[in-house]
Amino acid sequence: MFLHQIDLTTALRPYLLPGEALIFVQDGVGLYEGKYKIPQYQNGHAYLTSHRVCYVDNEDPRQNAVGVDLKDVEKTEFYAGFLKSSGKVTLTPAANKRGSMQPRGQSPQIATGAGRRESSSHSVAPSPAPRTSATWVCVICTFSNLIPQGFDPASANSRTYLPPCESCGIKPELIHVVKAAIQAYRQSAASSDQSNDVQSPSSNTKKQTTKIICPRCTFANHLSMRQCEICDTSLATAPDPRLDLTRHEIRAASPGPALVNLSLNDESIKCIKLSFRVGGEKVFFERINTAMQQRKWLLHGAPPIPQPNEQSANGDNSSASDQKVRKLVGIAGLELREQTQRKNNELIIGNAFEDLEALITSAKDIIALAESFSSTAKADGSVSAEADSLVSQSVSQSLGLITTKDMLGSDSLYISELSRNLAEFLTDDTKGVLKKEGGIISLVDLWSVFNQARNGVELVSPVDFEHAARMWEQLKLPVRLRRFKSGLLVVQGSDRTDEKTIASIMSWLKDLHEFPPEEPVPWDWRTYGRGVTVQETAVRFGWSMGVTTEELEMAEEKGVLCRDQGLDGIRFWENFITEDPPQV
Amino acid sequence: MAQAAPQTGALEPPSTATPFQFPGYYSFPPFFTAQPNLVTRAAQHQKWSLLIQAYCRHNRIFVLSLIDALNSPLFHNAALNRRLSLNDAREVLNWMASEPGGNRAEWIGGTGKAKTGAEKVWVYWRRPEEWASVLEGWVDGTGQKGSVLTLWELVEGEATASQEFHGMDMDLLQKSLQVLVKRGKAQIFGQEDSLGVKFF
Repeated sequence: MFLHQIDLTTALRPYLLPGEALIFVQDGVGLYEGKYKIPQYQNGHAYLTSHRVCYVDNEDPRQNAVGVDLKDVEKTEFYAGFLKSSGKVTLTPAANKRGSMQPRGQSPQIATGAGRRESSSHSVAPSPAPRTSATWVCVICTFSNLIPQGFDPASANSRTYLPPCESCGIKPELIHVVKAAIQAYRQSAASSDQSNDVQSPSSNTKKQTTKIICPRCTFANHLSMRQCEICDTSLATAPDPRLDLTRHEIRAASPGPALVNLSLNDESIKCIKLSFRVGGEKVFFERINTAMQQRKWLLHGAPPIPQPNEQSANGDNSSASDQKVRKLVGIAGLELREQTQRKNNELIIGNAFEDLEALITSAKDIIALAESFSSTAKADGSVSAEADSLVSQSVSQSLGLITTKDMLGSDSLYISELSRNLAEFLTDDTKGVLKKEGGIISLVDLWSVFNQARNGVELVSPVDFEHAARMWEQLKLPVRLRRFKSGLLVVQGSDRTDEKTIASIMSWLKDLHEFPPEEPVPWDWRTYGRGVTVQETAVRFGWSMGVTTEELEMAEEKGVLCRDQGLDGIRFWENFITEDPPQV
Repeated sequence: MAQAAPQTGALEPPSTATPFQFPGYYSFPPFFTAQPNLVTRAAQHQKWSLLIQAYCRHNRIFVLSLIDALNSPLFHNAALNRRLSLNDAREVLNWMASEPGGNRAEWIGGTGKAKTGAEKVWVYWRRPEEWASVLEGWVDGTGQKGSVLTLWELVEGEATASQEFHGMDMDLLQKSLQVLVKRGKAQIFGQEDSLGVKFF
């Protein structure tokens, strides 16, 4: 299984394994298996991590997310791209992974439009039949007529029936039609041979989402048109965009041949190509080679790097002290153990900060140490323990998935990745950032928490942060940015709508009809319940005061609540002004 | 100000036998706060309008003095310790005087923009046209067509003691009679202080 399905996080990014680190992200990537395009894997993000290469589709990320383990990759090749063909990186699986495969070089699997079917293990869809779009131009009226179905220039002779021109009714000359047919075949064959041609199909698919471009006159027809409104050309060859909804229906929309379906278990995958349609292939190639050299996946589960003190212990008297440790019991033993522990820590810290390289390699140890320190500090009863733990927790957890500017090709990609990063940060249950704040947090607070969690490394500027937050909706992530009337920006889970907020406030207010107020009140509390202050509401729902005010005013704006300005401040009531109270 | 005695209002005639029965929403605290939501505010105005009309009808109030009314039970709920502020009360009355409010009020001597607090307002729990109909009905019912009555007789006379228009403001009466005059159902004659009216 060279290519396999991968798990995604809430923000639709690959779920990283322990010890795995994100190296590079690039959008606008398509996948090829050998020469063939893999349908539905033609527009997505490529994630390069220290362990894997992952592809996550833009359209249907949950369904179409695949990864290749770098340990299965034998070699990588680079193709710089030429004219309309984009740059590509080829990943060839290691030999043992394709044992059942036919030897390479034997019968190259090419499928052209002429209908030459390969007897290969995968079924190959022919590129669109050329004759449907092939035309001959009438010499009398210059109308482009379709070449009749089943017309074969090789066998055509003077007795072959030729329909007259659709416009003027004059019969064409045989040689004229044959010429046109041959030319059309030649063009289609050329384009399908050049399977690297990816620019046109990708742009094609984009257009098709809204209009069908007529292949002959380029008029943009409405989706439901079967024939071009201008020139009557059949539009059947263009895949009906509505069929995109039904994922099983696959049509080849490009001149390049495409696989009919992709079986992940297919052992015979020859190689996987990533086509970089918006660039980034060079950096990707460099980084993947570095990652392959580093072989970080070997580290996971491997015994820890031998400690320097152990090495030094081999020779001199410290080995004697080691033995003593085992013998000694009681307070002296504990003290000794403490001492060696301290010495060990000293060594780790000392080594780690010698240079940057060392720091990077021993990052894990340092974090573990920092965590143990912070937990000791907590045990000592130091203040703001919660904040500390949040910071240290998130350091260790988010270290793997941090998005930094140098990982990404472009600024816009940085924003979108940051946006996903943020969404992950927010929805991470172990951190529970949103939950702690009652499901709603102001953007400024989030910015500060997020930057704290990054621990002073690669801090995010407020501008980038806001841009990233604004992208959530576009990326269909499970959090949303909301602007209150006053302009306050807050972050919420996207499932938390105004209606839900109102419903929870209302159910609370309804409860107040049931329970008598603490002090006797002059009004009929069974009918009207009781007004609530902003403060009460904030405590009740765990929101901040600012957020609570905004939520209550939102509900007031919707006419669900009304206000009562008393001497002791504003209280919010169920709106019994517009609606009459229920009869008790 | 909240501690001000609620009963100082001179508007409640002692003659009223039964005290006015306030509607339920009168004891809803937010009712006394101007609502920022426009929809809610419109409903609030509507309810205030109904309350003011009912209150005035019950107490036979034809002209409401804004500043005095503020301390009357109408605008001041002593039990709740809530009152409608001068501005809010003026807004309610303005709304009543407007087209959407059904022209149920009219400022005496201007639009009430003079914020002296001394403004008075006619509260039309019956509009002059409606009063005209009532008068006409009464004249019809008592067979006094063609007879001449003084205005004083109409509002203060013993014959009208049981009628709604008994004790009516003289100016309002004239307004209502003018409506009848226009319709050709009555004629007013006489001097300033001894006006008479003849119904046809």
